[in-house]
Amino acid sequence: MGWSDPRKLSTESARANLLRNEALESIAKRLNLHRNEIEIIGEPNLGHFLSIGGLLGQSNRLIYSAIDRSEIIAISRTHESVELPVDLSGQISLVKLRASNPKVGDIFSLQLANGETGVSQNTGQLIESCNGALIACDATASGAHLQLPERWDTALFDARSWHGPSGLAILAIRNSKSWKNPLPHIGATRTPNSVSLPLTIAAAVALDAWCEEQNLVWEKVRELNEHLRNEIKKAIPDCDIAGQLDESLPHLISASFLYCEGEELLRLLDAAGFSVDSGSACTADDLQPSHVLSAMGVLTQGNVRITLPSDITRQIIDEFLEALVRAVTSLRKP
Amino acid sequence: MKSVNSLGARCPRPIIDIARALKDLQIGDEITLLADDPATWADLQAWARMTKNIAIKVKTCEFLITKRS
Repeated sequence: MGWSDPRKLSTESARANLLRNEALESIAKRLNLHRNEIEIIGEPNLGHFLSIGGLLGQSNRLIYSAIDRSEIIAISRTHESVELPVDLSGQISLVKLRASNPKVGDIFSLQLANGETGVSQNTGQLIESCNGALIACDATASGAHLQLPERWDTALFDARSWHGPSGLAILAIRNSKSWKNPLPHIGATRTPNSVSLPLTIAAAVALDAWCEEQNLVWEKVRELNEHLRNEIKKAIPDCDIAGQLDESLPHLISASFLYCEGEELLRLLDAAGFSVDSGSACTADDLQPSHVLSAMGVLTQGNVRITLPSDITRQIIDEFLEALVRAVTSLRKP
Repeated sequence: MKSVNSLGARCPRPIIDIARALKDLQIGDEITLLADDPATWADLQAWARMTKNIAIKVKTCEFLITKRS
């Protein structure tokens, strides 16, 4: 029922098309976009290529930051490009952006918030400094947490950022005059159109639920995040927390501990019942440290990336802190 | 000048090695660290900032550390 191909003519297809349109209308409304501006993509990583590649001409430059996603850094290697450094707090250097002399036709990749550290950018100042360059927003981590800036040309969202299903991205195209489908295609298709209808509906429902609880929940999560950051600093010497909470997403923390191995730290926390991620080199397939932490100048060894769920409680935070102190102490023993 | 050889060791070992070696030095003393783990330079800079010492990259796998604290 309802999962037929929405592009066909049967009654079931018509029903599927109706469901699809309702889901897209709902997603667009929640993200403050127009329905005609959004396309659904089955592969979020491909979305970066569509978002930026659709704006890039042969002679245009891509201006991006050193903490952009690796998919964007990969695109930069195929075009003339400028990499902008960030400071210790993860903020893109305005001086370097101005010095890159952005001009009409250039593309500025603007990451609204970093998925690893949670650090968000001062988009107003950055856009003001990039003159007439086209703006490709990476909203895959910020999702519905942050509004898109006043001026943008394309934007990419990942349904996982509002606890929706994986394997589903939303590409928003505001400037359809400058954006051309960069994939080989016949006809007027803007995206591969291979997305699953059930996933699309699940993403719309998840976004509805996320937005309904947002005001009630995220302020509490931010307070608990602040509590955890403060307690980590008090309880564990030689720790390095990436970025400041007042310019970050409320639910993310990236903390590194001197003289600790990230992989062992993950194992000890896992054994204590806490599942976290790490940007340390020892946890990566290629044994390279996180390019985000390296670009910020933050310690990469003994790193844990903590994501606070919306139902997090003070008691869980305190239990986690206890487990973290125990794990770091045991790893630092000579 | 003293030297610490951490070639072949994975992070955080090179940073642990240099921190240990520094305990026997006086303020202003210099020491060389040899290390080839890809995370060494990034972590050495962060370690220097956090512990208020000075680290300079001399060659790809050679670093000069000055004790300041």
